[in-house]
Amino acid sequence: MMSHLGSASRCATRWRGLLVAAILVSPAVLAETGTAAGNGAAGTGTQPGIVKSAHNAGLKSGKIPRSADGRPDFSGIWQTTSAADYDLEPHSGRKDAPPGIGIVEGGVIPYTPEALATKHKNFEARAEDDPRLKCWTLGTPRGIYYPEPFQIFQRPQDVTVFFEFGHSVRTIHTDGTLHPIDNDQEFWLGDSRGHWEGDTLVVDVTDFNDQTWLSRAGDFHDEALHVVERWTLIDANTIDYQATLEDPKIYSKPWKIEVFLYRHREPNFELIENYCYTLDYDKYYPVPKE
Amino acid sequence: MNSIILSHMVLPRMTGPLLAASMAVTIPIVGHAQQTRTASASVTAAQAPSAASAAQATAGAPQSLAAAQGPATAATAAQPPQGGLHFEMNPPPIAPGPWTGKRLPDGQPDVGGDWSNTAGNHNNFTDPQGGIPNDPQDRGRPVKPRASRAQSRVSDPPDGELPYLPWARAKQLEFQNGFFNNTKPEYIEPLARCAPAGVPKSFYWHGYEIRQYPGYVVFLFNSGSRIIHLDNQQHLPAAISLWQGDSRGHWEGNTLVVDVSNLNSKARLGRTGDFTTENVHVVERYIFDNGNKRYDYVATFTDPTAFSRPFTVTIPARRWTVDDKPNGWHYEVPLANNPGKERIGDHLERICVENNGGFGRVAVQNNAQNKK
Repeated sequence: MMSHLGSASRCATRWRGLLVAAILVSPAVLAETGTAAGNGAAGTGTQPGIVKSAHNAGLKSGKIPRSADGRPDFSGIWQTTSAADYDLEPHSGRKDAPPGIGIVEGGVIPYTPEALATKHKNFEARAEDDPRLKCWTLGTPRGIYYPEPFQIFQRPQDVTVFFEFGHSVRTIHTDGTLHPIDNDQEFWLGDSRGHWEGDTLVVDVTDFNDQTWLSRAGDFHDEALHVVERWTLIDANTIDYQATLEDPKIYSKPWKIEVFLYRHREPNFELIENYCYTLDYDKYYPVPKE
Repeated sequence: MNSIILSHMVLPRMTGPLLAASMAVTIPIVGHAQQTRTASASVTAAQAPSAASAAQATAGAPQSLAAAQGPATAATAAQPPQGGLHFEMNPPPIAPGPWTGKRLPDGQPDVGGDWSNTAGNHNNFTDPQGGIPNDPQDRGRPVKPRASRAQSRVSDPPDGELPYLPWARAKQLEFQNGFFNNTKPEYIEPLARCAPAGVPKSFYWHGYEIRQYPGYVVFLFNSGSRIIHLDNQQHLPAAISLWQGDSRGHWEGNTLVVDVSNLNSKARLGRTGDFTTENVHVVERYIFDNGNKRYDYVATFTDPTAFSRPFTVTIPARRWTVDDKPNGWHYEVPLANNPGKERIGDHLERICVENNGGFGRVAVQNNAQNKK
């Protein structure tokens, strides 16, 4: 199962050129990059990628919180400020979406021709068909860049991602266990097994169902989706979240996203349960309003 | 392999055409809302027939299991039953006091892990092993005399009855009578529509997990989750109303004391129509045995809108571990894939589905017909 991680390595190879470019920017950046490059935090962004990589490396500064076991501590409440959920690709403003620069490496999701037709169909029907509108669990990685907060609870053996939307809970197992042997299982959020590479939490996610979308623009996948995430604290209050997605029938090659997640620091900020799928019938309880 | 699939939680959500298609394969599950099973669930059931039958037995006939086990004496009840599906009569209460067991680095008593109640399920709130009232189905198992079944979850008032005001008792009976003839949407158990089980029903609806963190105790139920804040902050503003409520807790020795407000009270207490209103206020005490194998949930409900006086709910619970076999109800935790290494329970996703089958679907259809 963990051989899936091989795909991440392949991607890293493809981006080596960008790393070289980053190094050319300035020796200071090289020094800053250090761990980040080793963790794959460098070599990100859209083409040509140079500016963004250098930018990220420069941001990686200051102390990050750590658990008792010395690992980076992601505990806290996080949320994106991006427009990624509206559309992962670069897009102008629409009536139903703010504009966004996109979070896809290279700007375009490499759909197969058939899948691209489906995506276009989804896009046209997005006002009715987006599973988000039924408050279905958003899936992985969509839950991460959906514009509603989630809380991370962390122990040595697992990282619990608790979403406000739908109040669904995702467990990233970091106890060395592997994906279940029974690979007929399908999960909304996938089965997540993580390990540490330096200060980066690398998570292999498999065993998905095909019920979730990746954005409001109709981006989609099927059951064969395989996601490799890389979670890195670049400072105490910012997570650099990267994910590589592969799904041979839907995409012609693996592709990558990167988005920053910001810590909620407002006084007394907390998750508020949002079981939004109950809203259509909750008026009947406990006693219908006369 | 994955016994969780036997519950309704991980079946794909079904609506519209999918739901219609699934009606053809609806199979009755004894004592449980009829569930729509997908191909994947059927496969899993076939792979684990023992777990499937166990789940049915659990949901359907706690009284017969209790009969098999026999009335528990105080001596036997002190030790949780090992393995299998057991339903106890009346275990002796656990006394509040100091905590002498293991602690977490932040000082909290270490009570994390898998737990489930020991006396029946949500079929009947005040008579946990008494089955669902007015059940038209012949379960093929005689219900034992009341004195041979577990006592009411209502530990105060002493008669074990909920002290409803007349209007609320009338409503409760209406909901109860409508349960098998749900011609109105409010007769559908919200849980059958995938709503969270709420407070306190979450504690006698499948097994559940406790995870602890500095400042938090987190409950992961089969339907919904709860975050208990240990930060002494004030409750959320009253305008915010929640299925699981807003929980603020602290530890007193072996006891986790939790003040619960902001409840929307939309979750029922059982399939007996029992309910509270949005004006309810709950103080929970989770009293853990120092052996860390059991705890008592003891909660006081105050709701002057529906009740003439406060009442107390007591729910004994026991711990389940990797030494127990998953059984499709109390313990749905398979062994993780960890070849050659430690045996670890695998906590897989528990995402509720649109379980609008069974009781729920009948009501929806009836309503649609009534409007025509």
